[in-house]
Amino acid sequence: MGNLMRRFATHFLLSIILVGLCAFTAIGQEDKLVVVGNNSVPSEMDMNMLTSVLKGEQLRWKDGSRVSIALMKTNTPVGFSTCERLYNMTANELNKYFLALVFQGKVKAPTFFNSAAELEAYVSQTPGAIGVLQNTNAESIKVIRIDGKEKI
Amino acid sequence: MENLNRIALRLSAICLLFLSAGNVLAQDTHIRGFVDLGANLQDDKVGFGFGEYDLFITSELNDHVTFLGETVFRYDKTMEHEFEVSIERVIVNYNYYGNHSVLIGKQHTQINYWNESYHHGRVFFPTVGRPLLFEYDFIPLHTMGVALQGLNLGKLKLGYTLLVGNGIGSKEVSDNDKYKSLTASVHIKPAENLQLGVSFYNDIISEGADEHGFIFPEKTNQQIYTGSIAYFGKKYELLTETSYLNNHTASAGNNGSLASYLYTGIRVKDKWVPYIRLDYLDFDKYAPYLGNDDTKSVAAGLRYEVNYLLVLKLEFQHDDHDVLGSMNKLTAQVAIGF
Repeated sequence: MGNLMRRFATHFLLSIILVGLCAFTAIGQEDKLVVVGNNSVPSEMDMNMLTSVLKGEQLRWKDGSRVSIALMKTNTPVGFSTCERLYNMTANELNKYFLALVFQGKVKAPTFFNSAAELEAYVSQTPGAIGVLQNTNAESIKVIRIDGKEKI
Repeated sequence: MENLNRIALRLSAICLLFLSAGNVLAQDTHIRGFVDLGANLQDDKVGFGFGEYDLFITSELNDHVTFLGETVFRYDKTMEHEFEVSIERVIVNYNYYGNHSVLIGKQHTQINYWNESYHHGRVFFPTVGRPLLFEYDFIPLHTMGVALQGLNLGKLKLGYTLLVGNGIGSKEVSDNDKYKSLTASVHIKPAENLQLGVSFYNDIISEGADEHGFIFPEKTNQQIYTGSIAYFGKKYELLTETSYLNNHTASAGNNGSLASYLYTGIRVKDKWVPYIRLDYLDFDKYAPYLGNDDTKSVAAGLRYEVNYLLVLKLEFQHDDHDVLGSMNKLTAQVAIGF
């Protein structure tokens, strides 16, 4: 009986650890972002270049096509995460930042989307478009590696 | 007749708006606007009013060419119960290579950070109003002309503007003389949220030129040198700019005037920003059109940012004018973007 109790306790403890690990991994996966782009967008870039591009500091790619930024709406989990992790801004700060730059005539505002499918379609159809998603299986767009990684 | 002209102008503006709205579906056109409402207490009297009603249009004409228009409706001080329409910016931007563009049209002279950043959107202003140097026509706010502009170049994110325009005394539709104004400005962003800039302005103003009602009595050679430091971080905000204006005339020779302001704010509790702004104007007594009203001013206020489209400000301002004397003013403002 005592042996059975010990085995039960050991299995129960292992189950808890396993569930905890799975949950941790799942949360970690959810937090990851994927940068996607149209054919004009370079296949690799470093994080400094990515943040510079996403902030509207680069107007054109090397092939001459215009940079178009595609983001999930800031009230979606991915949009929220994009603001925090890639822009180091709150959603409100991001909106203010781009409204000010558009008002100064310096950039075109990003296009915001409700769903990943809409964003993927926009990126695939727009030369020079770059977007941020949680994940993608779309074949018409490419995943941009950031500092050598597909997920950041 | 004047009334008919005014009505025609308004109808034209309305037609223009409808035409623009009709094209929204055909091309990527956006119409936005800004307005501010306020109340102030001055000389034991409380008054309510609204400031400028600013309509702002951007449109993409093709992959390289964009349009920007900014039109302001404001109370006309010269006509009771009347409003004037003022076209503040009309810019066609041709992005010809990388981050380099040609800008053609009426633009806010790229002479300092404030004039190039905030335009007529009070929701962006860190304080209730502009620094005092704007009220005295110390710098030319607008220039009608052609500019070469570059942005975010290299590691220092260098930006430049070289603008050739009609200059002081000219109208939006024509130049009053053969001389052209030249504005050259550069800035760098050596760190996140920090911008350092300098600019140079040169113009030859003809005898008889009319600048906001002041008639220049003789030919004047004008230069303006400006330096700017701007830092808007998550917690601290700092903006300081100084302009030195030199006017040269045959009768008075060189005379220099100085205008500075310093704004600083600190963000507390996410949405609250207490701030202070100091203004200093030191006019040369021979400087034409500036008057001789040397001024020192301090403004202290509190800004509450509900969100990026709605900002509330409460500000107390004390001015010491050499000519006009001392003035105190308490202002509350609601600034909106829509």
